[in-house]
Amino acid sequence: MSPSKTDAPRNVFRAIVTDLHFWIPLTVLLGGLILLDKLR
Amino acid sequence: MQAAPPAQTSVNATRLRSLQALGIFCGFAAGAWLGGAEAPIKLVNPDISPITVSFIMVLGVFLARWSVPAFVRGTSHVRNDVLQAPHLIVWAVLAGCMWAVANTLTIYAIRNVGLSIAFPLWNTNSLLGIFWGFLLFNELHYAGWKRWLGVLGGAVCMFGGATLLAIASSHEAAPGKAALGIFAALGAGILWGTMYIPYRKAYLTGMNPLSFITFFTVGELATMTVLAVTYRGAIPLWHELVGAREVLFWLMLGGFVWVLGDLFQQYATKYVGISRGIPLSNTNQLWGLLWGIFVFHELRGASQTVYAQVAGGSILMALGAVAIALSSATEREHSSWQDAADREGQRYNVEAEYVRAGMEGRAHGTGPTGRTILDWVLILGTTTLFAILAAMARLPHIDISLGWASTLTVAMLALLATCGIALWRTTRFR
Repeated sequence: MSPSKTDAPRNVFRAIVTDLHFWIPLTVLLGGLILLDKLR
Repeated sequence: MQAAPPAQTSVNATRLRSLQALGIFCGFAAGAWLGGAEAPIKLVNPDISPITVSFIMVLGVFLARWSVPAFVRGTSHVRNDVLQAPHLIVWAVLAGCMWAVANTLTIYAIRNVGLSIAFPLWNTNSLLGIFWGFLLFNELHYAGWKRWLGVLGGAVCMFGGATLLAIASSHEAAPGKAALGIFAALGAGILWGTMYIPYRKAYLTGMNPLSFITFFTVGELATMTVLAVTYRGAIPLWHELVGAREVLFWLMLGGFVWVLGDLFQQYATKYVGISRGIPLSNTNQLWGLLWGIFVFHELRGASQTVYAQVAGGSILMALGAVAIALSSATEREHSSWQDAADREGQRYNVEAEYVRAGMEGRAHGTGPTGRTILDWVLILGTTTLFAILAAMARLPHIDISLGWASTLTVAMLALLATCGIALWRTTRFR
């Protein structure tokens, strides 16, 4: 059985939030924002 | 022990060699334009807040990131490309946010420790790029010890050269501010080194760099606007922008020049990966040094030791870049990249032929051709705005060598033309 069209966005969302390639840059970005706040 | 590599690769050897050579050429062109982009910032009065400087630069970057793709291929190509892999918009915006924060950090770094020390510190991003490329995208797999030695040895050599330059330049750091500047520069390096994860992900999936940067810049502009309004306040920011109208052109020009360098860097990342493309782009330090020494007389009056350190550091960096340039990917390594690309395609349900065509820099399907009204509005609007800002601009009263500035500008333009022609002939800017 093939997934319905309405499942597609949910599947993409799940694929993104379970992707390490998403969390590594996001974590570094948050670290950068904290550093910037300390520097200003 | 490594498992056996995939049995075959679909890219023929001749095509692979020309794509690798193109990527390496793009890496060197990126170095020239990224290095040159820092020069206009030096023309700006240091009384303006770093956040405001970064915000104005990002305005220039935003204009460039929309008008350059409109000029080169037209925005209809961008729309077509993004429809194939819409999930990459998330990574493009994320990378844009990272760029904006890193760019703001570099301004703190330049103010506190000077261009010559800040450059090498944030250019450690190439070592991080090699690490992420190997770990996440199968780069340097099946590369053989000679290529490992070329890439890693080259990057370490460049790092050593950068350190030597940092020691030489530390004489000009303001007392008590060096630590802040060093933290800012290293932070920028980590942000930029990690920003290449989204780059590589997009290009392994087959996306065109011209498409990626149009969404990338949405993240840039949004982040910078939030940072500028939060840190400065909306009314003071507006007053500062009005007060800085005579230097708006120089800062936005810096942003525009940076985008051209970044675009070459994106193509380098696409065709030779982040482990090679990023170190090559980091030859921008040599260009930054040329601008600093010859145009802005940064090391005037320095001792013989300082000049020896600068010369030694520069030679080490150049040797490292050559070692990396001579270590292009083999067919076996390239087939390993394709495994990573297939993994991305399957995870996000992207058409396999689109992924394959993107990696090989060839056309996929029959997309729209030509430019639309929107493209011409973007091109003419950006040109008009820069012309108005140029009319308002004043050259500050600082000691610069216009002869050297012209020479370096001509060299950059020559690289832009030759690399642009090579990209067009080989991939039609895909």
